[in-house]
Amino acid sequence: MAAKKLRRAQLSQEMCERLSRYQITTCQDFLCLSLLELMKVTGQSYYEVQKLLCKVSRACAPKMQTAYEMKMRKSVNPSSAFLSTTLHSLDRVLHGGVPCGSLTEITSPPGCGKTQFCIMLSVLATLPVSMGGLDGAVIYIDTESAFSAERLIEIAANRFPAYFDSDEKLLCMSRSIHLYRELTCGCVQKRIMSLEEEIISKKVKLIIIDSVASVVRKEFDTKLQGNLAERSNFLTRGASVLKYLAEEFSIPV
Amino acid sequence: MQREVGTLPLAPALRARLAAAGFQTAQELLDTGPCGLSKEIGISREEALEALQVVRQECHGDAARTPGGPGATRKCTALELLEEEQTQGFIITFCSALDNILGGGVQLTKITEICGAPGVGKTQLCMQLAVDVQIPECFGGVAGEAVFIDTEGSFMVDRVVDIAAACVQHCHLIAEAQQEEDHQKALETFTLENILSHIYYFRCRDYTELLAQVYLLPEFLAEHSKVRLVVIDGIAFPFRHDFEDLSLRTRLLNGLAQQLIILANDHRAAVVLTNQMTTRIGQSQSTLVPALGESWGHAATVRLIFHWDNTQRLATLYKSPSQKESTIAYHITCQGFRDVQPAAVTHSPQGAELNPRKRPRTEEEKQ
Repeated sequence: MAAKKLRRAQLSQEMCERLSRYQITTCQDFLCLSLLELMKVTGQSYYEVQKLLCKVSRACAPKMQTAYEMKMRKSVNPSSAFLSTTLHSLDRVLHGGVPCGSLTEITSPPGCGKTQFCIMLSVLATLPVSMGGLDGAVIYIDTESAFSAERLIEIAANRFPAYFDSDEKLLCMSRSIHLYRELTCGCVQKRIMSLEEEIISKKVKLIIIDSVASVVRKEFDTKLQGNLAERSNFLTRGASVLKYLAEEFSIPV
Repeated sequence: MQREVGTLPLAPALRARLAAAGFQTAQELLDTGPCGLSKEIGISREEALEALQVVRQECHGDAARTPGGPGATRKCTALELLEEEQTQGFIITFCSALDNILGGGVQLTKITEICGAPGVGKTQLCMQLAVDVQIPECFGGVAGEAVFIDTEGSFMVDRVVDIAAACVQHCHLIAEAQQEEDHQKALETFTLENILSHIYYFRCRDYTELLAQVYLLPEFLAEHSKVRLVVIDGIAFPFRHDFEDLSLRTRLLNGLAQQLIILANDHRAAVVLTNQMTTRIGQSQSTLVPALGESWGHAATVRLIFHWDNTQRLATLYKSPSQKESTIAYHITCQGFRDVQPAAVTHSPQGAELNPRKRPRTEEEKQ
């Protein structure tokens, strides 16, 4: 949205050319300037500049929806609002399960079972909707190399013996879990940026990152100057991309 | 009429030409007329006409302003302000302790900032306020609508449904206890669907969308004149990453603050912002301070800081022009934002007559 070129904001051609001489090509550049600067750059009067500002703002402002519309949209498809974890007390506390469309964070001291929980969620996501799953693929970004495919098969076979009665079904399920091993922050970032296309092409319904903290702590030593800012930069940028993906595709992350 | 040409809101190139041609006051321009003007400075007649129209509009604006009429600069005495403030409504928060330290609730025409660590209840309070602003006047509310600008994506509709249902139930209880006509009538319009459809939600993904939305807000508020609350949930989030140029950030934030103040005053709306906390590393220890820096601290009129004390949530009034600094405890229940102990004050019908705007205090229902 921010990188939207002014051309597409329905400004006139000559205005766009004039602005590009000052290196203002995107909506972001335009909105960052003060009114006086805009007057100087566009050569227009005060009122004209305000009208231009409104035009450009309209091009990149978000759409309005009332809370009622949001609720209606959700209630149309209630089963897809949550991914049930099949742990009844946890589901009750979470109001239904892991929510679709937002980020959920699981933290604990080592050895408590985070990776096991993630593996179980991957299995659940591949199940058909009638069994409480999401009937889709899973993207699993593993930074600790802790994912074990054998354990995956074990969980699936023992938990849902009725469904996974043949090897064929197990293979099919494991085919829909895409595992990416990323070992550095840069790789993780690149992977997150490239996720959008994969989600559409592979019909992904769940994204798991296991774990964010390990790769960040390895690379950013907070005692060094400047690393704190870079680290929070990396984290917030990753978080906003993930939030966007979660909301756009209504999937849990 | 004696206004200098350099102060008129014309295009800079035009102003430069006028100055070079020797024009000094607006009156001279008006006397010359469009044809004369176009010949003297070498612009087309249409441009000259446009410029003269701008000048005329400005001068009329000036003339209207000087005798103290309604205009951009409003003058009034402190007495008028006092009367205005006393009849002004507050947006209650359903936590009477918090309302007390704020002097009645969230004030209209002021910017209130809520800072706190993650998970302490800022978004909960914002959602509660978005519902509370719609409470009808006979129950002590301001009967307005709400604009919710979300930058972090933490707005959960289901939660708002819970809060709104609890609020409607509370009003029903009051109406039953009091048995007044206008209460019943107001309850007919104060339903769940109405509450939800009067919360206007915008999801801004980065600071450009936020800036664009705030530029468009005056127009939006002019169309929806009943809006009395603008919530920006997470003003820090889009500004904290991807910003190498801190001076640009300060400038944008100050501009934003200015626009919000103008908005709050012009439309008699309350503006509520939520801010994150950041760690300031001092000589020997580190303290949690509100994010976005020192200069942002001047933007808000009222500042609330939410923090934890073991397992108890506390709210501190950190900055306020009229109330003193104090700390209270609050609770977040399934019904929303509440006091820690239920307010065990029995209501009296006489008390309601003293100030019909104040919601009569009834016994809070135990959870």
